[in-house]
Amino acid sequence: MEGTVIRSGSAGSEEDGTEVESFQFGEEIQGLMSVPPESGSSFTALLGLPATQAMELLHSPESDEAPATLSGEARVDQCQKPYLPSFNCSPSFPSNAALVERAARFSIFAGGSGEDSPDTNSMPSNSSRVKNEPMDTDSNPTTPPPLISDPTVGNRNLKSAKRKEREKKVKGPSKKNKNVASESSEDAEKLPYVHVRARRGQATDSHSLAERARREKINARMKLLQELVPGCNRISGTALVLDEIINHVQSLQRQVEFLSMRLAAVNPRIDFNLDSLLAAESGSLMDSSMFTPLVWPEVQVNGNRQQYQQQWQYDAYNQPVWGREEDNHNFITPENSLLSYDSSANSGTSSLRVNLLKMEL
Amino acid sequence: MENPESVSRESKTKKRRKTLNDDQTQSISNNMKWRTEAEQQIYSSKLFEALRQVRRNNSPAEANHRPRGRVVREAADRVLAVAAKGRTRWSRAILTSRLRLRFKKVRKQKVTGGGRLRKVEVRKENKGITVLQRKVRVLGRLVPGCRKLSFPNLLEETTDYIAALEMQVRAMTALTQLLTGGAGGLAAPVDQLQSNLTSPT
Repeated sequence: MEGTVIRSGSAGSEEDGTEVESFQFGEEIQGLMSVPPESGSSFTALLGLPATQAMELLHSPESDEAPATLSGEARVDQCQKPYLPSFNCSPSFPSNAALVERAARFSIFAGGSGEDSPDTNSMPSNSSRVKNEPMDTDSNPTTPPPLISDPTVGNRNLKSAKRKEREKKVKGPSKKNKNVASESSEDAEKLPYVHVRARRGQATDSHSLAERARREKINARMKLLQELVPGCNRISGTALVLDEIINHVQSLQRQVEFLSMRLAAVNPRIDFNLDSLLAAESGSLMDSSMFTPLVWPEVQVNGNRQQYQQQWQYDAYNQPVWGREEDNHNFITPENSLLSYDSSANSGTSSLRVNLLKMEL
Repeated sequence: MENPESVSRESKTKKRRKTLNDDQTQSISNNMKWRTEAEQQIYSSKLFEALRQVRRNNSPAEANHRPRGRVVREAADRVLAVAAKGRTRWSRAILTSRLRLRFKKVRKQKVTGGGRLRKVEVRKENKGITVLQRKVRVLGRLVPGCRKLSFPNLLEETTDYIAALEMQVRAMTALTQLLTGGAGGLAAPVDQLQSNLTSPT
């Protein structure tokens, strides 16, 4: 169940098989066959290499088929006519039958209109929440004739699903040839919550799809984390990366601890410094052209403070803090200016401040 | 004549697809927010005020109970949580934990007691809990408020937490430099410490 990407796995297998066939049966077929695979292992590509039964099915709706929905399909249908006489054997019956089923669905699909049929509900799809490609339902190698009824049921849904498939990028053909276990539960007619693309050669049952969706989520986030944590890019493997992440978080927390201890040592001076700074700087800095920069951090801080006040009113512990900040509103601005200058560039202003501090001390 | 259910499903899939992409973009933008100068300055100013507040609160009552470093640390974390604007779980956990600790000091002891028990469990049942699971739990303990979080959410919280922590370190370093009046002298030990901490890994 540990699925690889689930994308019409059996379809992919069929494509390989039929490609072999094409080589056997003639260049014409070969040439025609090569076109759909190049399109990126789309469904139509797979459909382009079906067995004879598929062709029979496909021929019926061909006339109705609109060129709209899937260009690949049209291509396939065109290709299929010459195939009819040549294809006589089906090396792998189950896969072919499955493909036939899919082909039938798609072909009738293409012929159908773009509306979603209410029949999708009738398909007893299980509670799978992951969207399966329509082709993924090929797990049961049922005979083609009964399958014809199915497309009518799952038509529209598959069609819209197919559209989305086309829009999505498709991976290259995988090397796995998997006969999907008989979970035809996908039925795939039901549009799920997460659109997961099943790639070739991967399991198509709902569990593996959900697993795949979950896994992709986790991998995406791990990637972000790896970028954030230095030195994690080269490491492969979740466990080692997690180790790195844990170490990094611990080191950061230790740094904060260290810095806070240092600040605590400095803390007794804060009041003195601030008062002196305010007294000294309010005269010097305010008069200078640094007034405009004062406005900017002030605006930001004010905005944030108001926001915080609204949000965190319940936080009783912080109430006095906010109140104090309001009172010391005008005291903040020179301090903001200090900090902004400090962080922006260690220019003469910071040295001026430093000198003031030293004088006070 | 579209089936309403299928339409809703389609919209759901579209939404889900969008959220899958939006998730990453949003988390990336959040990370970038922690890196901006503005955020750091906001944090620094708030921290400064909080420290003054701590100073005033500390002198009468708590100077003997808690070491000053601890108080400063907690204040810094609290301000950081505020700077996070409550969007992340860890920030909310930090802010609410302050309240809880103030009113119920017994609770803290209970938590640590449970932690010890869990450790013993892990040692005994080594096969029951996989290596990866153990690491995930360690990470959950490190990030405040994320102990019983699912793995993908935990990773998301960790991402934001690491970015916030880095900003906190930068801001506190700058603040320390500013207050102690030493530009280069203070930065050096911090860097050394950082390198010492990261080198063994």
